[in-house]
Parts: sequence; C-alpha cells; structure tokens
Amino acid sequence: MKTVAVFFGGRSAEHDVSIITALSSVIKPLELTGKYKVAPVYITKDGRWYMHDKLKDIKQYQGSGIEKLLASIKPVIVDFDGGFSLLQPTRFGQKRVKVDIAFPAMHGTFGEDGSLMGILDMANVPYVGCDLQSSVVAMDKILSKAVAKEAGLPTVQDVTFSASEYRENSSSMLDRIEQELSFPAFVKPPHLGSSVGVMKVVDRASLAEAIDTALHYDNKVLVEKAVANLREATLPIMGYGDTVIPALLEEPLFNTDEFFDFDTKYLRGGKGGKKGGGKVGAKQGAQGYSNVPANFPEKLYAEVQSIAVAGFKAAGCCGIARVDILIDETANRIYFNEINPLPGSLYAHNWAKAGYSNVALVEKLIEFALARFDERQRLITTFDTSFLKQF
Amino acid sequence: MRWLLATYSPLIVRSLVYMLQATEYNIGSYLSWFHRTRDFSKVIQRKSLVYTQKAMLLVLIGVAVYLTTILIAVLIALKGGFAIIIGAALIVLLPVIIAYVIIIPLIIGQYAIQRPKEKRMLEVAQAQLRKQHCRKIAIAGSYGKTTFKETLATILSETLHVAASPGNMNTPIGLANFIQKLDGSEDVLIFEFGEERVGDVKRLCELTHPNMGVITGISEAHLSSFKSIEAITSTILELRDYLKSYDVYKNGENEFITAAIPASDHHLYSEEGVNGWKVSKVATSIEGTSFVATKHNKAIWAHTSLIGRHQVGPLVACIDIADKLGLSVTDIAEGIKKTKPFEHRMQPYKLLGATIIDDTYNGNLKGMAAGIDVLKSAKANRKIYVTPGLVEQGNLKEVNHVKIGHMIADSDIDEVVLMNNSVTQYITRGMKENGYKGHTRIVDEPLEFYTNLSQYVASGDVVLLQNDWSDNYA
Repeated sequence: MKTVAVFFGGRSAEHDVSIITALSSVIKPLELTGKYKVAPVYITKDGRWYMHDKLKDIKQYQGSGIEKLLASIKPVIVDFDGGFSLLQPTRFGQKRVKVDIAFPAMHGTFGEDGSLMGILDMANVPYVGCDLQSSVVAMDKILSKAVAKEAGLPTVQDVTFSASEYRENSSSMLDRIEQELSFPAFVKPPHLGSSVGVMKVVDRASLAEAIDTALHYDNKVLVEKAVANLREATLPIMGYGDTVIPALLEEPLFNTDEFFDFDTKYLRGGKGGKKGGGKVGAKQGAQGYSNVPANFPEKLYAEVQSIAVAGFKAAGCCGIARVDILIDETANRIYFNEINPLPGSLYAHNWAKAGYSNVALVEKLIEFALARFDERQRLITTFDTSFLKQF
Repeated sequence: MRWLLATYSPLIVRSLVYMLQATEYNIGSYLSWFHRTRDFSKVIQRKSLVYTQKAMLLVLIGVAVYLTTILIAVLIALKGGFAIIIGAALIVLLPVIIAYVIIIPLIIGQYAIQRPKEKRMLEVAQAQLRKQHCRKIAIAGSYGKTTFKETLATILSETLHVAASPGNMNTPIGLANFIQKLDGSEDVLIFEFGEERVGDVKRLCELTHPNMGVITGISEAHLSSFKSIEAITSTILELRDYLKSYDVYKNGENEFITAAIPASDHHLYSEEGVNGWKVSKVATSIEGTSFVATKHNKAIWAHTSLIGRHQVGPLVACIDIADKLGLSVTDIAEGIKKTKPFEHRMQPYKLLGATIIDDTYNGNLKGMAAGIDVLKSAKANRKIYVTPGLVEQGNLKEVNHVKIGHMIADSDIDEVVLMNNSVTQYITRGMKENGYKGHTRIVDEPLEFYTNLSQYVASGDVVLLQNDWSDNYA
C-alpha cells in the first residue's frame, strides 16, 4: 500500500484553516479509499514537523492536547534518499516512512505559495495540487493579475507598489491612488489568502491605515478599485494537461456594505454570520453562505466559467485551484480577480454537488499528481558534458 | 498483541456473552461463530452488550471460570515437571473452557425455566385466540413477509380495526407476546410467520389458527439449517396444507412456488394481476410505483412510494384481499397511497444530494435481484451498489454469489463496494465472468464504510445498500 504524506498547519496565518482542510477533506477520504496509508505531517507555527497517528484527530487541536502530544514526541527528520523519507525518532531508534505521494493541505505562506512544492520537487516525489511555478503565480495577486492580463482576461484597475516605494514617498503614492482609483477601494497584501489583511477603504485616511496594516503582512501592496454593483463568483477547478474539470460556479452571499474577510469566512460562519442565517435557500459552505450553483443567467454563467477556466490555464495551474471572479452586474462586466491554489477544505461541498464525492475527489487529485510526475520523469534535466575537463 | 489481549484477557467473557445475546442465545449459532472466529478483538462492532439480568449472570459466571481456571493452572504447574505442561495447556485452552462452561447454566435454564414458561405462554395465547372470531391472515415465506404485512395492514386500516404482529416478532414466543396484547375488538389480525426448521410454519398455524394465508416467496434463506430447498419449500407450503379450503395467496413470480402450484390457481399473484384483477400502466422509479388494477366494473389507480416492479404483485394481492373484506375502491386507493417503504427495506433517503436506497434487511437472492433491477433502471450520475453478500446459503453459497456478480455486471453499475469476507471472491468472479467494466472497491471495515458513507457519495448518485451482516456473521 502506498504511503501518502499529508502536510498541514505551517508558518501561516491560515494555520488553523489548514488543519481543517487536512483532517476533514484530505486524510479521512484518503483513508477511506482503502488504497493508501496516510502519514499526517503537522507543521507547527514555528516550523517544526511532526508525524503521529494522533495528529489525525481534531480533538487534539481543540484544547491543550496538541502541546502535550508534541512534548511527548520528537520532530521528524527529512531524508532525501533519492526520494523522500520521514524519519520518526522512537525509543529504539528511528522509524522510516517512505513517502510515495505528498499531499500538501497547507494554506498561505510556506506551504501554498510554492515553498513546500520546491522541497517536493527537489526530492522528486509526486505531489498533489499546483506545482511550484503555478503556486508562486497564483499566490501573488499582483503576478496572477499580470498573467491574466497577458492572457487577455479583464481585470480590475489597480495600483501596486513595494514597501520601500511607499516609505520613500507615501504622500505621493496616496495621491496617485486617489487620482487613478476612486473610492471605495480595496487594499490587499498580495501574498496572503483567506482575505487576511484585506481592507475596504473609503477615504485617504482609511487608505493610509489599510496600507500600514497590509505592510505588516507583506512587502508589496495591491490597491484595487472597488467594483460597483458587485456580484462575486468563485469556481473550483481541477485538472492536468488537457483535462480541465470545473465544479459548479458558486456565488458567495453578502450585503453590499459588507466585505468577505477572514473573520466572516471562518469565524462567524459566513456572510451575515450564523446568527444572521444567510439568505433563505442558500447553503452554508466552507466559506459561509453561498449559492451553489450560482443563480446566474445562462449566458453570464457560461462567460464567468470561461474566464475562470482561462485564468486557471493562464497561471499554469494543475491539480486543484479556485478562481475568483468579480462582476459589475449593471455594467455587465466580468473581471478575473485571483486564484487560490489550494481552496479551503478543497471546496469539497461544491465538488459533492458537482458529482464528485470526497473520496472520488482525492482519488482524482492523486491521479493527476501521478500523471504529472510521470510526465516530468520523461523530461531531460541533466546530461553529460565535457565542461569540467577544461579546468 | 491486540488479538492476544482480546483472547486471553477477561475481556473475552464480554465478547462471548455479547455473541450469545446477538444470536438470541441460540447455542448452535453461538458455537458455530466461536469455532469460526480467529480474532476476538473485533467481535463487538455493530451493537454493544446490554446488561440484562441474564447477561450479568453469564458475565459473572464467565469471570469466575476465568479466575478459577487460572488458579487451577497455576496450582497444577507449581507441582513442577509434567504438571507444568498441563498447567500451560489449561491456560492455552482458557477461551475454549470459558466459551463452553458459560453455556451450561444457559442449557439448564432453558430446560428448567424458559421452556415450561414458554409452554404456558403459548397455551394462554392459543386459548385467547380461539375466543376471537375474526379474519386471521398468516403470512409465510422466505422473503417479503414484513413488507407484505405492513402494506396489507396499512390498506385494510382505512376502514377496519387491524392488528399486525410487530417488526420481526415471527417466532412462537414473539407471536404469543403479540396475542397477549390484543384487546379482542380487532376485525383483522395479521401474523408474520418465521421459519428456521421443518414444521415451524405448521406449529405457528396451530398457535394462531389462520383463516387466510399469503406465501410471499421461497428462496434459499436459512439453507444452512434446512439443508435443502425442498425442505424450505415443504415447510413454507405447510401454510397451504393447513388452510386447505381457505384462500391462500401465492407469489406467482417465484419459480419454487410455480413449480409446486398449478398455474390454474387463481390465487397466484404477479404484476399481471390476481383472481380476476388485471394490472396495466405499471411505472416505477426511485420515487415510487404506480399502476392501474381493474376487475369487472372496478378500477383502482394505485400510487405508492414503495420502489420496484416486484411490489406490484403483492400490492394487487392486497387489493384483492381488501376487496374481499369489503373495502371500496376509493378506500383501497387511499390505503395504497399511504403505504411507504419500511425501515431498511428499499427505503430511500437523501444524503448530500445523492439518493441512498437502504435495503440492508434484504437477505435473499430474489430480493437482491429486485433491488439491482431498480438500480439498473434508475437515472443517476453514478450508480453505486454496496453489499457484503448473503449469509446462510449452505451449499449454494458459491453459486448464488457468482449469480449476484453476474447480475451486477449486467446492470450498468458504475461502482461496486464489497465488504471483504468469505463470499467476496465469488461475487467478483461472477462480475468478471460477465465482463463488469465499472470500478470495484473492496472494504475491510464495513462499519467504517457505512458510518462514512457521506464521504463516498455526491449529488446525483444513486446508492443501493443491500444486506448487512450482523457481528455473528462478520
């Protein structure tokens, strides 16, 4: 039986979200396939890697259990042995777990952004989801918009700058933003997911405050003009090569003066919160209340899906990703917004409605991972030369 | 290590008493399970031990035997030399000793207390029924009894006071308990007859004195105890023999019945009709079944949420019985509308947008075929079929499971989930023989699968769960 190492947690603001993704949507379905042995690899907020069967249990993370458990075991040692092995120190030595397939279930920095994929590429082990290059593009909102623009996709007007550019002359940068983009606008740290650090601004003062906040999280800032008459849509997509499978277009529900921030997404149970109850007839998904499928006219649905799929392809995504779209309903304009290379909980609620069970979803993702790995094995990366002989 | 601990720790006592309880203190079934079981760490899976007085007593006896045997083994071994081997042998045989010793008080109790008590109960029930002059309908058969009973009771209850034996209480004691609860004002009594040995149906007839009968079908259920299909057939036909001139409805779609009953018998029911009733316009889906039944100037438009064409025959038999008992066509149609799937018998429910058809009480080949037929005709994103196979198939174990494999392969099923057990190899062989092209999943832990069903299904799927092996078969 092949061993799949599932990586979760990590040095990220989305550490806790990653635990839920791993435990609910990855580890359990993988075990239920009956085909794989699952090695849970939990990465602490300070970057230590642990592997233990008890780490599959959500109860461990809900109290002080995790500290006690981690105090009783030692971090794993990574061994690049022509492949990828994890060495678990035991009382009598080390237990070696050879990883046949890696399944990153990490969100945000040092995981979803390509860092882990780089290690896995170095180890030459097949892994699920977007590769290093597409993860880097997708996790950088500035870069992904540039790639989308290059592919001819419509994007929202923006101003981008680095921390040093802003600090050199913050006043002129604020002037420029005010001139080029009218209020309201959104200030975003370009490398964070789950809307961490994203703020809606309505005037110069709130803009300056939001930029300061964003610079706590990132060394670049993206300021975007807010889309009027906004409807949002998001589309989970999976695929590799010529096979691209869109799930159902999903419309998050919210009041026009609200913003879908981290707190709304994960802590209050969706827009309007659990107490608000959301719109009648809407379902609560991983990110709160939403309509699945989105209740769009047929033509709009097709156009939005087409732009989302084009965004997935333009960024070179593979495995799974989720593309977010903004719509100005009155002007009938559709904008590519951003890509999430590892949607929270894999957006399993959406896939289930689209006809893919949790088990079928992870099986399909492993299938794509192995296909990509096989194809890469056929590429020539080294060759003999006489270069060294001249020295 | 876990296996060793479960076999030689005092926990073995709990497992043994649990299994006695699970087999309803049937010593034959219990011993058969004990000799078949190798790993006692996975005995208590589906239910848990209910600490009744009887169970408590057996646990105490078991623990006493456990401690006494160890004490004796140690005392013997202390003598040294060859005695050490005898002491060690006693320890090795510890589970066997406990397994057998705890049934001794059970056997004594059965002969000294239970049987005389049961005899008195049966006499009281018999006397009570003799005084009650009403329509008494007995239902016998290898399968379909409970659904027939509940369907008939629902229809007749439109205008009559009906009492039907509850659930699976189809043994003499179960029926005696039911009879004792009757108040004597009932217009119709419906009895479900269970059968495990030759003569069982006759004994139940003598207890209940029916004046109308239904034979729902004959199959290889309980073949292990009957040994032959002929023995099963003759046992079930004891109902016909007892009732002689009274009406006995028989399933005309069952080959064992049609082989034993002349085709001219107008009480043979099928989806064509019965006793002058003609059926037409049959339509069935996972939402339900509808048809039209006509006889002379009477016509009934029947709609039920019962699933499958095989429901039409029993329903038209119920129509004829209801007609005979004086119900109007309007009452009959209303009654049929109220019939619904019964728990774990082709009972549909929704899960994450998928339709799950719970047929886990289905334990015979005919029923399996009917269920697979429904799945075959269903419109679905994926058709998923889940089964551990059948139990008590005697020498037809291999043949019948290969047949199930053939049925699966011929039914456009996308995914088959089999519980890994002694019959899996036969089902997969049948599937292979008929060129099954879908996906096969073999599951080692059935409970894990059932409790995580939501992880396996998606919107638009239709999933048929057929049969579930209780712990004494697992």
